[in-house]
Amino acid sequence: MRNSFDEKILDEANDWINANQKVVLATVIQTWGSSPRPTGSRMIINEKGDFSGSVSGGCVESAVVREAQELINDNKPFKKLEFKVSNESAWEIGLACGGEIAVYLEQFN
Amino acid sequence: MKHSILKKIVDLKKQKKEFAIVTDLKNSNSTVYKLDEDLDEDFIQYKDQIDSFFKSKNNGVIDGTDIFVETYIRPIKVVIVGAVHIAQYLVDFAKSLNFEITIIDPRGYFASEKRFPGINILNKWPDEAFNEIETNSNTALIALTHDPKIDDPALKYAIDKNFYYIGALGSKKTHANRCERLKEAGYSENQINSIFGPIGIKLGGKSAPEIALSIIAQLVSETYKK
Repeated sequence: MRNSFDEKILDEANDWINANQKVVLATVIQTWGSSPRPTGSRMIINEKGDFSGSVSGGCVESAVVREAQELINDNKPFKKLEFKVSNESAWEIGLACGGEIAVYLEQFN
Repeated sequence: MKHSILKKIVDLKKQKKEFAIVTDLKNSNSTVYKLDEDLDEDFIQYKDQIDSFFKSKNNGVIDGTDIFVETYIRPIKVVIVGAVHIAQYLVDFAKSLNFEITIIDPRGYFASEKRFPGINILNKWPDEAFNEIETNSNTALIALTHDPKIDDPALKYAIDKNFYYIGALGSKKTHANRCERLKEAGYSENQINSIFGPIGIKLGGKSAPEIALSIIAQLVSETYKK
């Protein structure tokens, strides 16, 4: 049986919007191999780069925040990002676990 | 996603409704779909696939399309008998784990709104209280009073209704006496053995939050076994 271990990210998104913030929703839409968080995991980001929730175990969040801020600045509605396994060069954004994830970014309008 | 859709989602979650969010990844248009309602016409051609995601309670992209489906299911209902100190910590854990808690305790001085703000508390004896709660085989019972007058009727109800998790607080001796009473009341060995008693996984701690943690850990583990 699965429980709906709901992280209340969408509720928080609604609060942020009501506080007149520009908000981007990031959702894990696909995973391949060993990925840190399941499909449907969510994170929200505002124009200042504040964020809540997660789409990985901390591996790609910084890139997602950057892309989300770009989306807001360029006033684009959505964007799809894919993250693959990172190689050994330090500080590169990627998933150390060897999995792949697709993250969908969308602005609320 | 439109803010109006988000507001609808937040509202449905508050009402503990089951629904799916369907998003066209090509243009970020979303809709909310409830099983008993018509699907938005932009998505109607995917109805069968969306229904199957709904039934399997899964999230994902429909094969060969750009349609993403996320399902929201109702939280699991957990009935706690005994508005005691441990219950206060259970309520805290249950919040982040999204279990839906109802507390039963006929003793008014325990079951007060002040001690359990925002929690559904039934200040009644179990037999009467269960008339007001919708339960099924996806419901869990945590009996904490170790008073047979209060715990036993609740345990009997949970066994009769085939709850997926039944746990009862008390020492080995208390539990042995409890089993004996249930046997005398005509319950089978299998039924009696389905009760987790003494409740919780062994962590070693004796404080209220530690016992609550051991109970909630067992509850989560049993939830995934089912």
